[in-house]
Amino acid sequence: MSVIETSGLSKHYLAGGLRARLRGTASVIPALDDVGLAVRPGEVFGFLGPNGAGKTTCIRLLLGFLHPSAGSARVLGLDTQADGVAIRGRVGYLPGGVALYDAMTGTELLDYLGAFYGRPASRRTRMVDGLELAARDLARPIRDYSRGMRQKLGIVQALQHDPELAILDEPSEGLDPLMQRAFYEILDELRAAGRTVFLSSHVLSEVERVCDRVAIVRRGRLVALEEIGALLARRRRTVEMRLAGPPPDLAGVPGVSDVEVVDGHLRCRLEGDVRPFLAAIGGSAVTDLTIEPARLEEAFLEYYEDGGEVVANPAPAGAVS
Amino acid sequence: MSGVLLRRTVAAARWRLLAVTAGLALWGFLLPVIYATFGADFRRLVEGGYFGDLFELFTSFAGGSVFTLSGSVALGFVHPIPIALAAVFAIGYPVAAIAGERQRGTLEVILARPISRRRLYLTALAATGLFVLVALAGNGAGIVAGSVLFGVADELEPEQLLLAWANAVLLFLALGALALAASASFDRLAPALGLTLGFALASYAVEFLGAIWPDIGWLRPWSLFHYFQPAEILAGEASPTDTLVLAGITAAAAAYALWAFPRRDLAAPS
Repeated sequence: MSVIETSGLSKHYLAGGLRARLRGTASVIPALDDVGLAVRPGEVFGFLGPNGAGKTTCIRLLLGFLHPSAGSARVLGLDTQADGVAIRGRVGYLPGGVALYDAMTGTELLDYLGAFYGRPASRRTRMVDGLELAARDLARPIRDYSRGMRQKLGIVQALQHDPELAILDEPSEGLDPLMQRAFYEILDELRAAGRTVFLSSHVLSEVERVCDRVAIVRRGRLVALEEIGALLARRRRTVEMRLAGPPPDLAGVPGVSDVEVVDGHLRCRLEGDVRPFLAAIGGSAVTDLTIEPARLEEAFLEYYEDGGEVVANPAPAGAVS
Repeated sequence: MSGVLLRRTVAAARWRLLAVTAGLALWGFLLPVIYATFGADFRRLVEGGYFGDLFELFTSFAGGSVFTLSGSVALGFVHPIPIALAAVFAIGYPVAAIAGERQRGTLEVILARPISRRRLYLTALAATGLFVLVALAGNGAGIVAGSVLFGVADELEPEQLLLAWANAVLLFLALGALALAASASFDRLAPALGLTLGFALASYAVEFLGAIWPDIGWLRPWSLFHYFQPAEILAGEASPTDTLVLAGITAAAAAYALWAFPRRDLAAPS
């Protein structure tokens, strides 16, 4: 059973004021359009897209804050429209730019929000320690907190009750590099404990580091859903080498394209498995070799470079039609 | 209803509630004191015709007057000061309970917990009722204390005072339910507050101006305050219609909010 499963999930808004609606001239804006995805138990799933792509809309549909215009979504086997309360009892949610009660102290807030679940906040102490939230900090009113402190408190409130599924919207926003690392360790712990994490982020290096699979949305549509490794392997990387002799024959080598040789300097593009390429250059007088690492950032940008058309098959493993 | 949410709501409002209750208690206390101390002098001034009708006009309002204890108490109920004080919890709190939380972005932090929107709404309605009850209990206690301490308690019928107090509670509950319905309908505080406050002020003006300006008298039945008649109740002329209308408005506003709030889309706060 998938932890999250959506089928044809769509959310459309009517643009224009009341007058346009009454006249029937309001245009429909698709905030999310026909999204089908499945998140497996125990995985850290990255949900990527630029601002306005539909990430937050999708999350709010999963939590029952929004009602779908079409399609359906199930979370932990429950329908998001009919079983919202039961779902939210098993989910931890960190909203993007989380707003907290400024008059409360950190401890009061965590006690208050934890009390709704009717079970002990079993992860709180470990998370508070991991994120270096000192007892004296938690005793201060939240109005005195820095942005990073608020974000740390937001993370703790979302995960303190050890939810089966964590839905985190831009979780490392405002965290310094040290705290980002501490947060990644928390995600590793959750993964090790078999918890599922659905993470929306702009920070591609973060997604690359922590996620097992990613979905990429653009203009409300799902344009990719793949294992991180597969996504990176499909990327065309740039290879540059300096030669002390004749260039190797790269014609017909799988994955190699756009070969250029200028003044003992060879440059080409390499996609997929590197082993055929390495075998092909084995006998050449290579004095220097650089293979650009496959980064999620470039893979992500490739999906956004093609003028709005879908550039990849969005229905590999895990997708729901 | 959510006990966790209700406890937190009460804790957050406790000092404000204490201040408003104390203010209403003081106001309630002053009415019998003013009557006991100056009532006879006021009556002599009016009967002597020293200031013509002007003095009587300023000392009589909405069926109340300072010439009898029941008239003073009735005047105390409908005066703008106690109404403004009670509105802190009959309008201020419910308007902020949903629209204010939504505007601040904290509503989604609460709704991310296992609590339904209906339950959240019912908790806010219960808190509104509780706050109104406590604040007006202060008012009632002040009236009783003032009457007893200044030796005029025997001029009041306890049953009628209780009925007048209940009429006030019902009025502010109806206002609270309307405010909460507006709060559940908007994403921002300003339209919810503007709509509720505008309705309350217009309602108040229509009822009390309509009593002295016959041209707008036909509008009075459309005013919420038309069904708030402490002077009539204290004179032994309580009308069950007032109770039914106020209870009906409360129920209708609650029914609307319970229907509309869960159906609304709560987009990300901007």
